[in-house]
Amino acid sequence: MNRHIKKISVFLFLFSICFSLSGIRVSEASETAVYRLKWLFNASVIGDIYADVHGHFKARGLDVTVKEGGPERDAIRELELGYAAFGVASADQVIRALAKGSPVVVIAQLFQINPLQWIYRSENLDVTRVEDLKGKVVGITFGGNDETIMRTLMAKAGLTEKDISVFSVRYDYTPFYQKRVDVWPVYRNSQAPILEKKLGDLGESVAYFNPAAHGVKFVANSVVTSKRMMEEQADVVKNFTSALLQGWEEALELENEEDVLKTLRQFDKDTPPDIMRKQLVITRSLIKPFKDTRIGMIDLEAWQQTEKIMLEQNQIPSPVAVEKVIRKPF
Amino acid sequence: MFLECQNINFRYPNGSMDVFHDLSFQMKTPGFHALFGPSGVGKTSLARIIVGDFNDYSGVVRSEGMQNLLYSYNLERLPDWSSVGKHLEKITPPSLRDRKNELIASFDMAETMRLRFSQLSLGQQNRVNLIRYLLQDFHLLIMDESLANVDERTREKIILGIKDMFPDTYFLYISHNVIEVSKFCREILVFRNSLKAPQVITVNGQDHKLGQTVSKDKLEQTMLEIMHAS
Amino acid sequence: MLHRRIYQFFIIYLLGLLVLFSVKYLLDLSDYVIPGLEDLAQTFRTVFLRYVSDVVDTISVAVIGQVISVFMAIVVGVLGRQTTWFGSFIKVAAYNVQAYPIVAIAPIIFILFGDGFLSRLLIAAMICYFPILLSVISIMSEPVHDIEHFYRVTGRMRWQLEVKIRAFENLNKLTTVISGSATLAMAGTIVAEFIAANAGIGYSIRIALYQSDLAKILTALFLIGITLSVYQGLLEIAGYLVKKGWASH
Repeated sequence: MNRHIKKISVFLFLFSICFSLSGIRVSEASETAVYRLKWLFNASVIGDIYADVHGHFKARGLDVTVKEGGPERDAIRELELGYAAFGVASADQVIRALAKGSPVVVIAQLFQINPLQWIYRSENLDVTRVEDLKGKVVGITFGGNDETIMRTLMAKAGLTEKDISVFSVRYDYTPFYQKRVDVWPVYRNSQAPILEKKLGDLGESVAYFNPAAHGVKFVANSVVTSKRMMEEQADVVKNFTSALLQGWEEALELENEEDVLKTLRQFDKDTPPDIMRKQLVITRSLIKPFKDTRIGMIDLEAWQQTEKIMLEQNQIPSPVAVEKVIRKPF
Repeated sequence: MFLECQNINFRYPNGSMDVFHDLSFQMKTPGFHALFGPSGVGKTSLARIIVGDFNDYSGVVRSEGMQNLLYSYNLERLPDWSSVGKHLEKITPPSLRDRKNELIASFDMAETMRLRFSQLSLGQQNRVNLIRYLLQDFHLLIMDESLANVDERTREKIILGIKDMFPDTYFLYISHNVIEVSKFCREILVFRNSLKAPQVITVNGQDHKLGQTVSKDKLEQTMLEIMHAS
Repeated sequence: MLHRRIYQFFIIYLLGLLVLFSVKYLLDLSDYVIPGLEDLAQTFRTVFLRYVSDVVDTISVAVIGQVISVFMAIVVGVLGRQTTWFGSFIKVAAYNVQAYPIVAIAPIIFILFGDGFLSRLLIAAMICYFPILLSVISIMSEPVHDIEHFYRVTGRMRWQLEVKIRAFENLNKLTTVISGSATLAMAGTIVAEFIAANAGIGYSIRIALYQSDLAKILTALFLIGITLSVYQGLLEIAGYLVKKGWASH
């Protein structure tokens, strides 16, 4: 008797999991959709927020819920499980997912320049070439994107691990403040302005080492959806993309700046206004680096290079032909 | 050396009724005395007032000439980390080594000395506990049901043995066994309902000693007196 | 005792995998969401040795942290057993500090002690110290009247004897708390490594999470589980031996 009860409970447990997951999939079919961001609400997601707040999704008949991301969130997993219809993921995430058979599709590339760069004090260091890092203490987040990028840069410049001292980076900047580390990885449009201000208050000036300037284009955040959405609800995908990109275009318009900052403050209450303004300016330069850049455009060459880098560093076992899952937004 | 309680009034903390109301008695001669009465009348409370465990009472307790008053009860345990023999050895003053052996023999406990306390039967546990109290320096020992779970014959042997070994010491034996207290005790303090006055009545027992015989009639007479008193 | 813990862990782990695989195959999820059996086996083979050494590193820190905690908890618990101001102060402090989430305290520890061994040790010790302390205090402040009475009325009671009686009478409770706190020490060390350290299995899990590699995480969980089961089993055996040894004096 007891055995039967146990068997039935195991079955019911599995059934309830499957039911709850498939239940979410059903909601995907309606025109309500969850859009899972990669990170918390801040200036780097302003276009996503702006599109929502200014009703661009609604205007196209979509009921989109924009949800914050975070370190434990993975938009691609959520797409597959049906918890979200759209999401933001970094290129390496997309390529890793493809390598494991995930049916993910890229529908827009938000960052044209990767915001992940290295900050350093400019008075005693000038990194104009990768070789300038020789003998320096370089901060790297083991397992993070910056490790992949730095290893690629070093390989290109013919440097090995013996040429630099690697410092394992954590969430707090104390080692950089204490000058124990020479170059420290930061997100240009979120952490960098804060660091810059703090060091500026101490009379120190900083500069940035941008991997793209040294030939390493590693694609950052992009907008993704599932293959199933592409096939079954192409209109929803199209409308979503155009609403989102319109949001980004408007959010980065110079004349909208005050309104944009006002909108942003509703979501990001912790960042001081002067820092937030700087973050917005930098975000603009990374997403729309040139006047004629169309927001969302896919830099196919950068995607292919990203895949190549990952392949070279054994992060994926074989090529995934990333270009096949990229749908150009226009 | 005598024990006297005068006008003891006592109630439990948060209790609504007096346990004792003007309770008085005297015990002027050493020997084996008893506190007798049904459960809940306050025998243990009186014992603890006498030894000074409870202070929240009014009235006078005088234990003239008695320095060491001990209270022992039947639920006490010895730690189980060594054998009861070792425990007894540790708590016996060197001058009382012979007495220890004597007690062990007279309590029929020689076989159990290598065992741990938890390995003993309930009756054996109570006996070994009593032995360790008897090996202390005391003038009054209160034995609260200290021979519970011990068979009648052994109990008799033990009580007679104690009386023989400690003729000049006060014992207060708390028991529910009317025959036993009538037979062995000198004075029996019979507890009555707290609403009755006086609350205790002293009945003289047969005070049976080693080598004596007890008259059946006298014993029955004592038992009747106890019944009437309560 | 030991083998029971190990096979119980195997059952739990296999049941967990079974649920995951059922969901994977029923919903046709890719290896990215839930790794396939082959993927898991491959990852297991690749990272096994490295992860074993990471887990050994972590458990070493956890064990040292736990030993320190047990020692300190006994000292403070014995001091704080009386119903004095100091005793109640220790209890209040222990309850309060226990309520703080370690992820909030960890950054302060890392700033003060860096991201090496000491920080991991401190966090592991902190996480398992307070539950042990509270148990020790509760055990030590509860008189065992039926045993203590004799020693008290005959003037033989010393603090050492009081502690000995209470510890002996509650040996089962103490060994359960100590063996249970092994899990806390391990969890504490892993959290510390996850947040900031440069070594240990927590650090490897963090890297695996960066790479969205669930297969690596499942491997790590397996090794953590099995190590913890062995450790707890050994603690139980040690507790049993202590009791047996103490009882055979």
